[in-house]
Amino acid sequence: MVKLTLRIYILIIVLILALLMISPKFTTSIIVKEVKTNSTSYNQGIRAGMVIQEFNSKPIKSIEDYTSAVTETFSSGSESRVEIKADNQDFVFFATNISEINVESEPSTKIKTGLDLSGGIRAVLKPANVSLSDSDIQDLVDITSQRLNAFGVKDISVRSTKDLQGNNFMVVEVAGASSKDIIDLLGSQGKFEAKIGNQTVFEGGNKDISDVCRSDASCSAVTGCFPAEGGYACNFQFAVYLREEAAKKHADITRNLSLDQTGKYLSEKLYLYVDNNEVDSLLISSGLRGQTTTQISIQGSGSGVTQDEAVKQARIQMNKLQTILLTGSLPYKLEIVKLDTISPTLGKEFSRSIFLLGILVFIIVSLAIFVKYRKIKITLAVILTMFSEVFITLGIAALIKWNLDAPSIAGIIAGIGTGVNDQIVIIDESVSDKANNSSSIKERIKRALFIIVGAFLTIVAAMIPLFWAGAGLLRGFALTTIIGVSVGILVTRPAFADMLKKIEA
Amino acid sequence: MSLEQQNTHHKNWYDKYYKALLLIPIAILLISLIYLIGFYKSTGNLFLRDSSLSGGTTITLQGDYDHLELESRLKETFKDVRVRTISDRSTSKNLALIIDSSANSEELKSSVENILGIKIDEKNANIEFSGASLSNSFYKQLIIALIISFILMSCVIFFLFRTFIPSLAVIFAAFADIIMPLAVINYFGIAVSAAGIAAFLMLIGYSVDTDILLTTRVLKKKEGTVNDRIYSSFKTGMFMTITALLAVIPAFVLVTTLPDSFRQIFLILSLGLFADIVNTWLTNASIIKWYAVKKRLS
Repeated sequence: MVKLTLRIYILIIVLILALLMISPKFTTSIIVKEVKTNSTSYNQGIRAGMVIQEFNSKPIKSIEDYTSAVTETFSSGSESRVEIKADNQDFVFFATNISEINVESEPSTKIKTGLDLSGGIRAVLKPANVSLSDSDIQDLVDITSQRLNAFGVKDISVRSTKDLQGNNFMVVEVAGASSKDIIDLLGSQGKFEAKIGNQTVFEGGNKDISDVCRSDASCSAVTGCFPAEGGYACNFQFAVYLREEAAKKHADITRNLSLDQTGKYLSEKLYLYVDNNEVDSLLISSGLRGQTTTQISIQGSGSGVTQDEAVKQARIQMNKLQTILLTGSLPYKLEIVKLDTISPTLGKEFSRSIFLLGILVFIIVSLAIFVKYRKIKITLAVILTMFSEVFITLGIAALIKWNLDAPSIAGIIAGIGTGVNDQIVIIDESVSDKANNSSSIKERIKRALFIIVGAFLTIVAAMIPLFWAGAGLLRGFALTTIIGVSVGILVTRPAFADMLKKIEA
Repeated sequence: MSLEQQNTHHKNWYDKYYKALLLIPIAILLISLIYLIGFYKSTGNLFLRDSSLSGGTTITLQGDYDHLELESRLKETFKDVRVRTISDRSTSKNLALIIDSSANSEELKSSVENILGIKIDEKNANIEFSGASLSNSFYKQLIIALIISFILMSCVIFFLFRTFIPSLAVIFAAFADIIMPLAVINYFGIAVSAAGIAAFLMLIGYSVDTDILLTTRVLKKKEGTVNDRIYSSFKTGMFMTITALLAVIPAFVLVTTLPDSFRQIFLILSLGLFADIVNTWLTNASIIKWYAVKKRLS
């Protein structure tokens, strides 16, 4: 049995750690992606990240298992007993639906693939005509995340970024889906106002609104559809709970209004505005005159060519309005300065190409090494080193939860390139030149090390400016290149040098 | 002829002509620079920029459509539109169209939809839009990044070798490694993307590997003549560059389904590696040889 050196042991340990970071799973499990705070499930103790094992005694192995178990349980529409086994704990409660929990099937590895691979929307936004401080942009990031969450969009990443000139931007990435509604929501200031005459009764956001009914069908629903010009239209309606002060304002404003001709409603309507555009006007029933009412019903409509489409549109409009009411408005207008929508199908194609390309590069490089040195052991050592570098880089990317986008992958490939260069230098210094070379092996390795450190420092120096230039959109390229070459110089190259010594001995 | 004789022969020849060899890369560099200056004077830009650096929309549409007809019909509305195809090398079947214009994404998208009579959505297309002001600032910043990157690299080289002429030779070779590919890119009228500039940055770090190898061996190795040291670096370095080229060229030529901006990285790296062969083994080697002869190293 060959005795391994410390450096080779270090490589093995780091490889095992990388494996743990990537943690490929050979079975799929269904995990809770998100639980609505203060919902029944939440209060029972179900949390995001738990693995759902059983639902009402049915084993859950896939999303299909989960949906069919849920549909079966709630098919009657009445309150049913729910028994969930998750993370080996049992949770039992009664509910009419379980929409408060979002599940996903756990990815087979912990490597996060960016938009270029999974498809989705990437938007870079900038406030129009104002420059923001660091804390302002953080607020914007918080509000936007909150909005997207409230809108029901999953898999989002919202971050602020700065360019070399000190401008602040917000980068929003929504994986998987791309829809115009999300883009509209992102770009809108979201200023909601309910007015009677020209007096504002209440605005969107926490100051005036204590809660908005959303997932409960008894107070938030599409109420009815009817044929309309060019197709169908559907109405929706949902309840909004006002804070005491806004309710009092409503009472003060309506107190002096007269009744209309029918006597059923007040003479003025309640007008709803989003970003200064009127979206709807509601009749106020006479009974509400001068009343301090905290519950208000908001209505609106959506239309489409078919009835199904109209229902869908009504739901989207309702969702948008609810989101804006909950999260309030931004103190300025936003401008979308860059918008990429990437098709999931093209993304899949891209992943496949990358994979093929990776294999192709591996084969070509291995062949070249073999043809040059004619030694199978050396070739294997090079292959092992290349593989280790990629694997450890991916492990680190998984550890820091880096989204692998196209530039990041280009960086990994570039990292392999410099890695192979360094290995050739080590081979040539330590093996091939031995015959007509009088310097000691120590001296030769020292020289190889000097070349390698030199190459390492120049590539790091060359990549550093990319962290900031261009709103950091090419940061992934710099990051994975630097991780790759660092892994090379710290872990794989020393181990490779020792492997060569073993092979030569 | 034994290896030794061959080497002696090689040495004599090299000793005679190494200064003359320097003229070749200098001539190529001058031609490239003159071409770039001419290009800058006529277009006002160092190179053509794609929509990610100048503002506009790029639509990558899957499928096989008549791109020439689409282009001529789109030209009626969008003057600067360019339509290219991506095809599978083995079957030469068109896989996708790339439509590039400075227009706004909605306008371009609906025009293409009308002409082709299809619906463009996330199932069949990628749409990338960049606002003009953002793209222009991207462009400026990436150029600044390129300059900073070059300066940092130069500092590292001076720090490594701590001698003026050999360090300058490496930096000069790195400079030529950027200028020559840029001239070729311009000559073929390729519009550079943000990822393309990242490739130039990569080139700065990547191309100096062989120069560092050469300089280290000539300055730090004690045995053999200067020519032996240059020749041993040449054997190692050429193999490094050829291996890299063997990996990068197929990446560009064969894998056509990659996004265009991504493939451009490989194109620029290939051109840069070719330039690097010239600049390391003609430019840098001649200068360091000259330096070694003057300093009576060996």
